[in-house]
Amino acid sequence: MEIKFNNVSFSYNVKSPLEKEVLKDINIEIENGKITGLIGKSGSGKSTMVQLINALNFPTKGNLEVGTFIIDSKKRKIKKVNDLRVNIGLIFQFPEEQFFNMTVFDEISFGMKYFKFKTADIEKRVVNALKMVGLNKDYLYRNPFTLSSGEKRKVAIASILAYNPSIIILDEPTIGLDSISKKKLVELIRTLKNRYKKTIILVSHDVDLIHQISDKIIVINDGKVVLDGNKYDVFKHEAELKKYGIKLPKAIEFSNLVYKKTGKKIGYRDDINDILKDVYRNAR
Amino acid sequence: MLDNVVFGSYYPIDSKVHTMNPISKIICTLLFVFMIFLSNDIKIVSLVFILSILLCEMAHIPKRIYGKTIKSLKVIILFVILIYYFTGLGIDNILMTIMRLIGIVLYTTVITLTTPPTEITYGLQKVFSPLNLIGLPVNKISLSISLALRFIPTIIDQGNKILKSQASRGVDYSNSNIIGKFTALKSMLIPMFILTIRRADTLAESMQIRMYNINAKRTNYRLNKWGIFDTFLFMLHFIVFGLMITRMVI
Repeated sequence: MEIKFNNVSFSYNVKSPLEKEVLKDINIEIENGKITGLIGKSGSGKSTMVQLINALNFPTKGNLEVGTFIIDSKKRKIKKVNDLRVNIGLIFQFPEEQFFNMTVFDEISFGMKYFKFKTADIEKRVVNALKMVGLNKDYLYRNPFTLSSGEKRKVAIASILAYNPSIIILDEPTIGLDSISKKKLVELIRTLKNRYKKTIILVSHDVDLIHQISDKIIVINDGKVVLDGNKYDVFKHEAELKKYGIKLPKAIEFSNLVYKKTGKKIGYRDDINDILKDVYRNAR
Repeated sequence: MLDNVVFGSYYPIDSKVHTMNPISKIICTLLFVFMIFLSNDIKIVSLVFILSILLCEMAHIPKRIYGKTIKSLKVIILFVILIYYFTGLGIDNILMTIMRLIGIVLYTTVITLTTPPTEITYGLQKVFSPLNLIGLPVNKISLSISLALRFIPTIIDQGNKILKSQASRGVDYSNSNIIGKFTALKSMLIPMFILTIRRADTLAESMQIRMYNINAKRTNYRLNKWGIFDTFLFMLHFIVFGLMITRMVI
């Protein structure tokens, strides 16, 4: 499924003194089978943008094309909306606020019941989804509200993976995760892309994470798309990014510093740890 | 999804009702409630009803907002009509009950739309402060009222998030049949309770660490002056009140 935004604008509280335009005239395309990273300051409209894709909100101007579905500002209803939503897995920013079941099993199987999966399949899928995010069977009958925030995040991801959507949207996935879980999450996202050919949209203000795994980067500032391209190009606009309140990734910052001090160019790496390994090898 | 809930949310524009003194608003509301419930005379009830419409008119808030609120009363109104039809109580009584319902909802909606929660608390505290003398904890009551008002938008927001998460997994509350609606509502209740209680705990702790003392004497940084409009509305209410009393006595 390809996603295309055509002149999309979105406002909250339309026709009231509290009206606030969050997205302004957005034109982007999200390619199939790639990881797209959305970065921007908090409040720049990133989360609102991804909620439009799922038809949870409708644009106030323009339209979106998601596969064969069209989410239009004038016709504010979609026929067979569940056929659209079964293909899009949206993982919200705060997992705690999206739980509403009393056991992890119910939480993960919730979607599948309404997307009309076979009952026999459901349990197998739930266990598999839990395994994918690195939790074992013991968690199945625990209360999701009593888990730690990292575990909650994992359950939220599992509840989406269980019904195998072709587009996966992760809204700030690394908040509340420790460094080991973060590394595992990065691995999981890479497997989802490489082995299962999923389209992934990653919303975050963690520039290092985005730089590490995404193929394409979209920078949003005040509801407008200001930079759009592959990650090599986007991070060349250092001054512009600074203006929008976005820091450079550590890996690029380091190689820029080395170049400034010694005049040597070091090879491109997207993970700071890889650079450190290189340095260590050279030093020996 | 729950975007059309109006009650309890402040609508920030400039109007005469917005600039009114919260104390006079609270006194007028009390008088209004007293009159509309205790009077059994259709003329007086219609007068009081007109009073609420007058207030709506002067608040300059778009009519569609009131329309939404009244629309949500349709089931109750239908129920009232049915009851009166079967008991044979006459058209006067039906009209009076409907006017009472709509009037009270309109009046409280205008008051909450035009007054921020902090001012409502201030008004309540001042109006009920004489009751301190007979040992009623007015401070505590007004604090709990203001906290309750403060939690309305939070709870709505929370409910919206759960509805969205359900919708993205196949149960769309706003576009589904009655069974889907019931499922959505049923599964919303428990998590809302859990999260609200947790929030309330955090709120209480954050008040405690900032040395909140319920019995301390408080000052208000806003000057609530008594204006001409306050006197005007106050007099209007009192005239109707006087009429009601004379009708009742004579």
